Amino acid sequence: MWLENNLEATVLKFCGRRSHHLLTLLGVAILGLVTGGSALAQSAGKTTEDLPAGAMQAKATTACAECHEARIILQQRLSKAAWTKEVDKMIKWGAVVDASDRDALIDYLSTNFSPEKPPYQPPRTAARIAKTSR
Amino acid sequence: MIVRSFRFIDLETPVEYLNTWLTPVPHFFVRNHMHEPSEVSPDTWKLTVGGEVDTPLSLTLGDLSRLASHSVVNTLECAGNGRSLHRPQVPGIQWGKGAVSTASFSGPRLRDVLQQAGVKPNGKHVMFRGLDEVPGKVPAFIRSIPIEKAIDADTLIATHMNGAPLTKHHGFPARSLVPGWIGAASCKWLGEIKIMESEFVGNFMSPGYRFPNQPGKPGEAVKPEDTHVVTALNVKSVISGPLDGSKLRTGKISIHGAAWAGEADVAKVEISTDGGGSWNPARLGHDQARYAWRLWQYEWKARPGDYSILSRATDTQGRVQPNEPVWNPSGYLYNAFDQVRIHVA
Repeated sequence: MWLENNLEATVLKFCGRRSHHLLTLLGVAILGLVTGGSALAQSAGKTTEDLPAGAMQAKATTACAECHEARIILQQRLSKAAWTKEVDKMIKWGAVVDASDRDALIDYLSTNFSPEKPPYQPPRTAARIAKTSR
Repeated sequence: MIVRSFRFIDLETPVEYLNTWLTPVPHFFVRNHMHEPSEVSPDTWKLTVGGEVDTPLSLTLGDLSRLASHSVVNTLECAGNGRSLHRPQVPGIQWGKGAVSTASFSGPRLRDVLQQAGVKPNGKHVMFRGLDEVPGKVPAFIRSIPIEKAIDADTLIATHMNGAPLTKHHGFPARSLVPGWIGAASCKWLGEIKIMESEFVGNFMSPGYRFPNQPGKPGEAVKPEDTHVVTALNVKSVISGPLDGSKLRTGKISIHGAAWAGEADVAKVEISTDGGGSWNPARLGHDQARYAWRLWQYEWKARPGDYSILSRATDTQGRVQPNEPVWNPSGYLYNAFDQVRIHVA
């Protein structure tokens, strides 16, 4: 448990500082091994997710994944007006988006993550609690 | 746990785990606004106490451990729990029903530390700064609570959870514990306490964590001046079993769950097995504490059919869980009746 907790902390610390998907994937793979391959088993292959294909995929990934993973976007179902507010807030908070890309980014997000889309299905970590755990 | 996000980390407790009075720490929901601090050493960590005080303090973990420890069993719920159920949908972590858990928190009373520092008469608000690592230009996680709540005997600087030191995900080495209030009041990785003359002004006080003074139409914008800071939790129940979509056999079925009411007590929980046509009282569990949820159970003799099972709680302030939630632009305090649909054959 100590090893698991510390590795998890290390992985999360690492992921917290870097936005590199491979590093995150590696970290989660280590977690899976340490927890007997059971943790995150249900989410195997979904531990990191990419934004959907499209002309703005790369720029959106660069702008957003510097601070948080794509899953935070994938779970939203918002109108264009709401996406506009979110994009402008994130630019204010440091997301690097060229002024000439702003409208295309809003279009990309509001097309792919509109209220009409089916709900996002989040992965689960596997239960890892022992009877003696507090 | 349901993964709402790994980076930064937001984990939801599956609703079927909301079935123990104390939630085991590995099943306790995790809500981070940004990245956890990379390095927090118990040997070098310090908590500063300043602002409108006679004697500014710099406290080590050892200093805190030498103060009298107090324990509070508290149901902690994220203000945004149930956000995904609001219509129209609103931005934010799309919590289902499980951004809520209960633990026994312990540590020194905040008021003992404030007394040591000597709060000046003009000190009316207590600000907490977390040591979260802030990406980009995101505002730091800083919030404040009124002095009256800060000096309540149950408001803590918590260092332990269910008898063990806080884990990193839950704010090691110390967090504020503001019982009965939204989770955001209980600031993790506490680094600074500052006594202020007025409420802290910052993103996590406004526009964050504010609620409309009057319910508006779903989807309508709300002016900032028509809102107030979210403080105490409202009355709410959830069904932890049977699960939505279950297919069950006829006979005795145990419908069970948890109910809580922030600073009030749960007076009763009622169950409807006919979609709200009639209501039956559930039996409340024996375990109780002022700020903790009550587990409840209702034994139902089920005949074949399709059913909509509802739960609704009433608290000692007379508040009743409503049929419809109060929509608000940030999706806070969702507390409509809980509902599961099941098939009995």
